[in-house]
Amino acid sequence: MPFRLAALVLLLAGAAPSPAQPALTPAQRQLNIDSFEMVWQTVRDKHWDPKLGGLDWQAIHDELRPKVEAAATTADARAVMSDMLARLKQTHFGIVPGDAYSEMNSSSDGDDSGPGDAGPGLDTRVIDNHVLVTSITPDSPAAAAGVKPGWEILRIRGKEIGPAIAKIRDSLSSQTTLLDLLLHSAVSERLSGEAGKTVEIQFLDGRNKKVNLKIARIRPRGQVAQLGNLPPLHFWVETQTLKPNIAYVHFNLFFEPDSLNTAFQQAIRTCGNCDGFIIDLRGNPGGIGGLATGVAGWFTDKKDQRLGTMFLRGASMKFVVFPRPETFSGPLAILTDGCSASTSEILAGGMKDLGRARVFGTHTAGAALPSLFTRLPNGDGFQYAIANYISEGGQPLEGFGLTPDQEVKLTRHQLLEGQDPVIDAAVTWIEKQKK
Amino acid sequence: MNRSHLRANIIIVAGILAAAAAPGLIAADLPKAETILDKFVEVTGGKAAYAKVHSQIESGTFELPAMGIKGTMISYRAEPDLSYTEIVFPGIGKMQIGTDGKVAWTNNPMQGPHIQEGAEKTQAVLTNRFNGELHWRELYKTVETTGIEAIDGKDCYKVVLTPAEGSAVTHFYDKESGLLSKLSVIAQSPAGEIASDSYPSDYRKEGDFVVAHKLRQSAAGQEFMLTVESVKFNPEIPKDRFDLPDDIKALVNKK
Repeated sequence: MPFRLAALVLLLAGAAPSPAQPALTPAQRQLNIDSFEMVWQTVRDKHWDPKLGGLDWQAIHDELRPKVEAAATTADARAVMSDMLARLKQTHFGIVPGDAYSEMNSSSDGDDSGPGDAGPGLDTRVIDNHVLVTSITPDSPAAAAGVKPGWEILRIRGKEIGPAIAKIRDSLSSQTTLLDLLLHSAVSERLSGEAGKTVEIQFLDGRNKKVNLKIARIRPRGQVAQLGNLPPLHFWVETQTLKPNIAYVHFNLFFEPDSLNTAFQQAIRTCGNCDGFIIDLRGNPGGIGGLATGVAGWFTDKKDQRLGTMFLRGASMKFVVFPRPETFSGPLAILTDGCSASTSEILAGGMKDLGRARVFGTHTAGAALPSLFTRLPNGDGFQYAIANYISEGGQPLEGFGLTPDQEVKLTRHQLLEGQDPVIDAAVTWIEKQKK
Repeated sequence: MNRSHLRANIIIVAGILAAAAAPGLIAADLPKAETILDKFVEVTGGKAAYAKVHSQIESGTFELPAMGIKGTMISYRAEPDLSYTEIVFPGIGKMQIGTDGKVAWTNNPMQGPHIQEGAEKTQAVLTNRFNGELHWRELYKTVETTGIEAIDGKDCYKVVLTPAEGSAVTHFYDKESGLLSKLSVIAQSPAGEIASDSYPSDYRKEGDFVVAHKLRQSAAGQEFMLTVESVKFNPEIPKDRFDLPDDIKALVNKK
């Protein structure tokens, strides 16, 4: 059951503590060398493509090994290992700093935010170079402070966010599908810190007036989900019935199988005769790969259907959907955006390919490789992909992402009006199916 | 008593299994497969001891070391082909696989309930035959010794067992001890045919039997480790233990 959390490494990789590190002892240096060898050998032995896309892996080893031997700090050694993995030009390969891996520490960036994954209780997206608030967690400090969807974030911790956004954008290829995901991670990291401490944010409110607020941080929404070597994550799922008579399920990760499937089961039981069903995967970076087929099973009675095929070294595995005892057979809409990655893309892409769902929103992140997490001898975390994945329609998702059937972008105006144009488009489509 | 068939069953829970075949020595130089298979029964307890056992419970742990995931495992089996295995992983939930003799099924929190059919069911039926080690003549159409291969540095006889239906399995028996050192199988699963190698080890005495207490499995780029902590022979097993779960019954009724 490989994990698919594209965003996680991206998020954690940026959370490395910045203070200068003490010189390494001989034992620590050896641990870094051992870690380098473990990373190199793992890729050599476990990568689904034994030829590694034509790379001379031995030559890369011989080039970089002296650098890791000479590394003055663990951060330097980590950079060498990251360089080695970057040669693969694939997502889901990364080194996560040991302390970040264990504690989910975030950079304090020089203020008193402290380490932690707590936030003010708002979500954002970068739309047309503007950081817009897209949702507010109910009963959160952001809600109490009066922050509304559609407000623009101008400064975080006294620093303008615009230049950072521009820098990230400029540093990436215009072809990358990962931009939205990386920009979202960059903003989230700046908002994050220790629970109870405040973060100073300057907004542009609905009347285009600058508003400076100090907002307390709270623990992320949802229950703590712990799975193996992965750091603790917060999982939530919400279900509701939208007017007119449409079931809606929104969840942030493909985790906690029992909770997730219970939510779908209850939604289907309470809304068996609904006009349609909406699965909202916006902002969902993935999770346990097998859950994509598990969720799909609530929406088809046909046997032997599959979402796609995973190609491992010397083997392939079809992502077969097992129809559940109770299923919903009406119109199904799936919502995606640039922060929908990995398992989200597998589900949305497969259901689209099967003709079972219509996808609304924006292009997905194109980061769909199944990966494992393990701990290196030096304490760092190591994520590596073990397979390639091709959606049922024959297209790879990695590096390409999924184009929705109906592209719908959020706008500041609509957010300020309390509208969600993506949900609105899905509802309109479902209503048309009824007619 | 060797629980190789049980182990193979557990591999299916994880969604895996494997096969291999390589040329060996000239068949005339090798002992007959029948002799090797019968020797295995003898060195793990003997025919008389096997014949006295009609049910069994094994418990232990099931681990995916690369992911840092470790769960508990309990497996119930009874004559002639009743089976129920449950593995509980923290953060994932309960994975189940079983058969009531008619319906072979799996259920896990990720993919949901599933009734095994076709080649998958054929393999499950073969796997779940109680005391399959003793009844290999009924289960396999042909058995053949095809060579000698070193497994973990020890020479082993390679025996290919071909059932009347389904794909062959390959067993490797230690030349000296007669114990099973490796199984190579191609698992028939909805995900397709998945090759897997399994390595029983840590053979120790349990009652009248010599039982492998560890089984390392590799398949599809991943490794699994099963550790047996307790084995009970002829235990009391509740009558409804092998009944179909409600979700499976619902699927049967839906067909």
